[in-house]
Amino acid sequence: MMKNKKLFWSFLIILFWQVISMSGTFSSLILPSPYMVIKAFLESIMRGELLNETMYSLIIILEGLFIGTFFAFLLALASIRYKIMEDFVETLIAIAHPLPGIALLPLIILWFGTGRTSVVFVIIHSALWPILLNTTTGFRTIPRIFTDVGHNLGVRGIHLISTIYIPASMPFIISGLRIGWARAWRALISAEMIFGAVGGKGGLGWYIFKQRVFMDTAGMFAALIIIVIIGMLVEDLLFERLEANTIEKWGMTVK
Amino acid sequence: MKKLSLILSIMITLLSIILSGCTIGNQQNLEVSKISVAEQFGLAYAPLQVMKELKLLEKNLPGVEVTWKQLGNTAAIREAMVAKEVDIGFMAIPPFLIGWDKGMDWRIFSGLSKSPVGLVVNNPHIKSIKDFTGKDRIAVPQPGSVQHILLSMACEREFGEPERLDNQLITLAHPDGMNALFSKNDITAHFTAPPYLTKELEVEGMHQILSGSEAMGKDFTFIVGVSTSNFHDKNTKAYKAFIKSLNEAMAYMKQNREATQILLSKAYEMSEEEIEKYMTLEGVSYDNSVAGVPEFAEFMKRNGYISKTPQSINEILWEDVNDEK
Amino acid sequence: MNDFLKAVSISKTYLNENKKLKVLEDISFSIGKGEILCILGASGCGKSTLLRVIGGFERIDKGEILICGNKVLKPSADMVMIFQDYNQLFPWMTVLENVLFPLKVNKIGASAMQRIEISIEYLKLVGLEDFKNYYPHQLSGGMKQRAAIARGLALKPSVLLMDEPFGSLDAITRSNLQNELLDIWRKTEVTIVFVTHDINEALALGDNIIVMDKTPGRIKERIKNFQERPRNRRSDEFLDLYEKIYSMLDVQI
Ligand SMILES: Nc1ncnc2c1ncn2[C@@H]1O[C@H](COP(=O)(O)OP(=O)(O)OP(=O)(O)O)[C@@H](O)[C@H]1O
Ligand SMILES: [Mg+2]
Repeated sequence: MMKNKKLFWSFLIILFWQVISMSGTFSSLILPSPYMVIKAFLESIMRGELLNETMYSLIIILEGLFIGTFFAFLLALASIRYKIMEDFVETLIAIAHPLPGIALLPLIILWFGTGRTSVVFVIIHSALWPILLNTTTGFRTIPRIFTDVGHNLGVRGIHLISTIYIPASMPFIISGLRIGWARAWRALISAEMIFGAVGGKGGLGWYIFKQRVFMDTAGMFAALIIIVIIGMLVEDLLFERLEANTIEKWGMTVK
Repeated sequence: MKKLSLILSIMITLLSIILSGCTIGNQQNLEVSKISVAEQFGLAYAPLQVMKELKLLEKNLPGVEVTWKQLGNTAAIREAMVAKEVDIGFMAIPPFLIGWDKGMDWRIFSGLSKSPVGLVVNNPHIKSIKDFTGKDRIAVPQPGSVQHILLSMACEREFGEPERLDNQLITLAHPDGMNALFSKNDITAHFTAPPYLTKELEVEGMHQILSGSEAMGKDFTFIVGVSTSNFHDKNTKAYKAFIKSLNEAMAYMKQNREATQILLSKAYEMSEEEIEKYMTLEGVSYDNSVAGVPEFAEFMKRNGYISKTPQSINEILWEDVNDEK
Repeated sequence: MNDFLKAVSISKTYLNENKKLKVLEDISFSIGKGEILCILGASGCGKSTLLRVIGGFERIDKGEILICGNKVLKPSADMVMIFQDYNQLFPWMTVLENVLFPLKVNKIGASAMQRIEISIEYLKLVGLEDFKNYYPHQLSGGMKQRAAIARGLALKPSVLLMDEPFGSLDAITRSNLQNELLDIWRKTEVTIVFVTHDINEALALGDNIIVMDKTPGRIKERIKNFQERPRNRRSDEFLDLYEKIYSMLDVQI
């Protein structure tokens, strides 16, 4: 039902868009018609360019998210294990969390140059802190009863974390991952728009930027379509599935 | 069903508001009460600073409100002109040609400046573009920028392959490119213009392996002034006044060198010595002639950056232009 | 034999925002193996605290808990607590998984198959075998408590600590569960410490009843209940004991 509604509205929006562009009020340099956009989209797909750039962006974001999530968990674990690390991690979050990755970009260029490393670093930065913040909050707010029961039943050490801390904090962890993904995705596209290879691959953001420089507005829209599709897929397929299979099934969603 | 018709009627209302709103906006453009000019930051735009400081346009066009916009890059200027927010813009020839190719209704009305541009490397072993290895990265301000096109021209001459180095190019704004060049761990070369060019060459170990005129094979105009047809046709008085003011500014710069330096040092917050050094740099000149358009157009067409070349030069130059053959 | 589980002059103080609150003072008792001890007292008198102390969940100021002469220092699977809170099952595990989990952790049973058999056996014992694939949030309060009991019993602990496990259930369900608990107790011979504030419940279950005083929690009276099971709740003996305990608690308020 939900899907149908989205489809219905998308259809109306496209119709609306087509009528406006057919009226000739805006030059096609400002607002290309849906027909032109779809043509540009298909052409770009045929050339393989758009898919290549998309793959490039996806691989880079997966890499960054993977590393970011790994370190977020490492720090979260350290902070529940050692009091001193808890204070340290809290300070770290307070400093780094409010900093948008893009604001750090000039500094990152100085430190890591303008290559792929820098983009990965921006993604790690964007994803790490929200995931860490949510995970530690989740760990800290676990109902005491679960850890008491765990102790009572003889669960110790790392087992306590994998079998009790992590599932018990799942609502927090998932929302951390959601925010981390959303921030990383935005940061990735913006970072790619700022630097990329002229001839070689530079990802979706770079593709948009290139279309802008060569005034291919329809091509820009084509890349936006891909971004929207990926956003929807991740949101609807990945996170909604993940939630349905965990916290919703377990009755842990906040109502 | 009721819901659907409600939605439809809302949409139709919205539609009519958008459509009518825009036509009103267009009509306002007919009046000659305002003119809007867009430029970028840099010494290549010096005559515009002189024009502003001496209020030449206000003198030649009394009663008209002039807005000066300093935008971050050429694409932004172009977009502002598409959106009819800007009447007159200044940029390099290749971005102008890309816009013209994409159907923008605009032409060049004047040259603004010539300037040296150069490819600076931080590796003493590289003596020409032939010495670049696959690992060397070269920074340019944008794809499709004059620097990018010039490098492609040089590649065509050297290797017969204009896109030879394209996969090694990265895009960096001038200041970032300069920092990256100095840090040496990221890029080997930077294709840039003054003042960055001069600053880079002053640093030990940096040297220039290619200049703009070497790449092109002749001198060319670095920055040109572009006006939309709408402005040219409908605001002829303002258009003429702008050209007159620009020419007066350039004449003033030639006749009053010292006064110009003082004026510019304030406008750019640079010392008078720096300004002087730049203004007397070989290859720097401010005049209204336009050179290099056919060469750029022909090259860009041949390599697919644009889809057509002008049948006659008058398709892209307004009648007033001092066309330097 | 009578010293299976022993508390030796326990005192416990909580620190609440720098204010000290003495919750337990000088509590001593001992019970034999396989007995049921009920702890009765008004709300807030320290019953849960005492149970947590017995289970090794809390540090104490003074005294010690001994089980077979060994000091209890931390929680162990040999003394399983059924908490007052209904949400003690892990919501991310099905009922069966909840019961299986401690078996796996404590390496009870030779194989995965055998562990499943054990779990189902205990779920049958509490009448939940049909619900083994349900998640806890799909169960009623009483079912959750029964599942928690099955989870505890499957470990074959020597002591079961129960903190008002049937607290806010209706009277009929509660008395059914009490009978069920007695059945299980008979079959498993587990020693039970059972906290409640319901006099009827204490009388129905306990071999011994400790009545607690409030602030600080002290033992007011220890009553032996020799009635044969099943106990007739309308017998004179039952009603006499009820009156006696009622007046004791009444005085407190
Ligand atoms: N973790 C704690 N920290 C501080 N004070 C506590 C803590 N737990 C309990 N207390 C205090 O100790 C006292 C006894 O609490 P306890 O939970 O043992 O009462 P109870 O007899 O179980 O009451 P109820 O019948 O309502 O469950 C109360 O005054 C309570 O405020
Ligand atoms: Mg209690």
